Amino acid sequence: MNKDQTIPKMSRELCSRLLSDLEKAKRPVLLATKCALDNARYDHKVGYLQPGNKKVRTELNVSSVKKMSRAIFMLEILLRNLDTGSVNTKRELYYISKGEIKHNPKLKPLDFGDQDESDATIDFICEMLEIYREEVNCYANDRGGQTYSQHLVVTETLPDGEKAVIDLSKLGTSPFQPKNRPQNLKLTTKKKVDFALIVESEGTANTLVANGFTKRHNAIVIGAQGVPSNAVRGWAKLIQDQLRTPMFFFGDLDAYTMQNIYRTLKAGSAASLIRNSDYSAPDVHFLGVLPEDIKKYDLNDYPVKENDAQEVRALKKADDALKNDPFFQDKRNKGCSEILRWLLKNKRRCEQQAYFTVDPKDPTMPEKIIVDKIKKGQYV
Amino acid sequence: MRKAVKALVEVDIKHNRGVLKNKETIDWDRPHGVSVEFLIDGRIQLNGEGGLLTYLTGTALVNPHITLSYKLPELGVQKLERLTKEIPEIPQATEPHPHTMKLGEFIAHSHLFGRVKTSAWLKKGFSRVSDASIAELKKAGLKPALFEKNVDALSEAEFRELFSAIQNTPLMAPSTRSVLAIGEASLSKAIQRLGEVDFFSVVSRKPTIADFKPVQVEVAIARLLNRAVGDDAETPVQVLRFANRVPLQFDKAACAIVKAIESVNWRAYQLAQPRGGLPSGPYVMAVSVVSPFIKFKNASKETIDASEELVEEIRRALIQAGQRLSRHIRREVKANDLEEKLRHIEQFCPILVDGLCRITNAPEARKKRAEDGLVKILGRDAREAQTELKEADAIVTAAIAKSNKNKKPDDDEGGDSDGSENGKQKKSKSGAREKAKPAAVRASSDDDDSDGGGQTSFNL
Repeated sequence: MNKDQTIPKMSRELCSRLLSDLEKAKRPVLLATKCALDNARYDHKVGYLQPGNKKVRTELNVSSVKKMSRAIFMLEILLRNLDTGSVNTKRELYYISKGEIKHNPKLKPLDFGDQDESDATIDFICEMLEIYREEVNCYANDRGGQTYSQHLVVTETLPDGEKAVIDLSKLGTSPFQPKNRPQNLKLTTKKKVDFALIVESEGTANTLVANGFTKRHNAIVIGAQGVPSNAVRGWAKLIQDQLRTPMFFFGDLDAYTMQNIYRTLKAGSAASLIRNSDYSAPDVHFLGVLPEDIKKYDLNDYPVKENDAQEVRALKKADDALKNDPFFQDKRNKGCSEILRWLLKNKRRCEQQAYFTVDPKDPTMPEKIIVDKIKKGQYV
Repeated sequence: MRKAVKALVEVDIKHNRGVLKNKETIDWDRPHGVSVEFLIDGRIQLNGEGGLLTYLTGTALVNPHITLSYKLPELGVQKLERLTKEIPEIPQATEPHPHTMKLGEFIAHSHLFGRVKTSAWLKKGFSRVSDASIAELKKAGLKPALFEKNVDALSEAEFRELFSAIQNTPLMAPSTRSVLAIGEASLSKAIQRLGEVDFFSVVSRKPTIADFKPVQVEVAIARLLNRAVGDDAETPVQVLRFANRVPLQFDKAACAIVKAIESVNWRAYQLAQPRGGLPSGPYVMAVSVVSPFIKFKNASKETIDASEELVEEIRRALIQAGQRLSRHIRREVKANDLEEKLRHIEQFCPILVDGLCRITNAPEARKKRAEDGLVKILGRDAREAQTELKEADAIVTAAIAKSNKNKKPDDDEGGDSDGSENGKQKKSKSGAREKAKPAAVRASSDDDDSDGGGQTSFNL
């Protein structure tokens, strides 16, 4: 049975159970997977953060009746979307729910004050049914993941069953933008691809390609555009599974990049425990900037600003991560935890663009360093 | 016809005293009193913290015995009738309390007595020093011979020894008569002059010593139904400061009173408070500091010096008042909770069951059974909430009963009579809850803070 049929069935079963409890004047209880770091398990053989046994228990009472009513109301909208094949973003669903309430004044008490409230309801439904929101046709904006390659060919199965073939070498300087639902894509290569490089900064990825990176090397270059979106994470997983090519992440040397960007790409996040299996690429390596690169290439680094709240928070979080995050505690990820320790100790950071200082007259210098590092195995 | 003295008073700034001129005796129809007329050249500012009206309201608050009649541009003639006919007793001069002195003052004080025995000097020259206290001093290690010696024959070392022993010996607090306090009963009445008061709490601390001076702190906190300026919940509370019954209107930030208010965690008493600032909401906080020696921060006597000891004493009074206040606020919160819960049941029951039935395609009979079941479940919750509210009510009622029992006979003019005068019931905004009849609550001193004085609070 495919998911499109499973979800309505699961939902009907859940609702029927709630209804039976109510008929018996028994308090219905909803159990949802707890999506938090204290319920995350990491097994290097699996490669990503998995949910533990902890559940968030919501028992129907005067305080929770509103939350439950909202969840059932939103579930009905999502099921209708599945039925008709409609697709929406969270913001659109917020407005759809507003519209429903506008046309049916009886539902007025359910009205969402702002989008945060409707988002929380959608997340609650997903955690309860243990599904991703993409499975109920609720997609995020396809941010990040712009991909460049001279050899990659993507075949997309469209909803009507037709197939679209996209040859990335034919796109000129335009990148390919992966979709949030990479399950419908099939990847092939015209020639063996040596490696895939995921660059934290979309701008730097574009620069590398414009300077001829993909012409000189059989590689796939992807711009992550900061914290990887579901599209980027799913796309990286797809490349890993279908092409079995070595993958490297190239980004800044700072606590935020290590914890929020690289860890999420490689092992998923605590907030998305139930979908990390499809949205993480455990084989990806951290290419740099490594602490030893600073000395080796004489890179421009600088101290973390003590008055910058975000950086200070990231460092504090790094300290917590070393103590509580199962990913950084795993011996196999010692390299990553060592980098965090180095960052905590030295309180310095170095940006990916610092490679441009090595030889300002040679625009291909960063490319040379990246390829050299891959060849020599200088990554974590 | 009684005779009165009429004179022109000039102020001798150099010697800080009044000089009487053109003195004459006239007939006057009053048993006693003072009538003063003067002209001041200046700009009139009515509103705001530094305004004339704030001064007049403040004066009326801390002087419940005055009838205030005034005429102002735009407002015409205004009259505030006196709330009590009891004339405040002017404090009698008392001997100094030994704990209010520094060593130099202590030695200088002895010079006023000539050749007397030290024990006699201590008993006569100071208040709160008795034979028992002298026995205590002897127990503390002072030689009995020292007390037999004449005071003018004591060496500086002996004075020093005596002084430090006295400082370390607990003595009775200075007499209440040494400071002219307003009193809880009077303050409870006077607070009605601030506007339409929802409820309030009043605390009169016992006189104590702060910075070597006797001092008494009194606090009144009231929640107003319609605050004149900025009834926004985020507007800071209105602070009324008094030093020896004189309203202080300027340089608020540096004042001991404001510092003490800011130091209290009002969130614990259900008042909103931005970090390190004054609490906010439609409240008036009136703090009166009474002392024979108030240390002001500047010559213009606008601000009370924020010494640690004084701030702590004011802070304690505020905390006691806050504890009283929070009982009433908590009760309100409970009542609101109950309303919210009852509303929830009515609103969400049908929607939830409808939604579940639509998704499962359930028949009408099932829907009916589920609706009945849900009402039963939520009804149980509502009953629990109702019980909680009843319990909260019972606590307040018990406190009221206790207070009435503990009430002193001379307080009759205070809380109770005041309460019954205003025995109206008000409905809350939501209309579902009614406030209890006004009642005076006087807690015994062991209620919240064992070393504090009694407290009064009223729910109107």
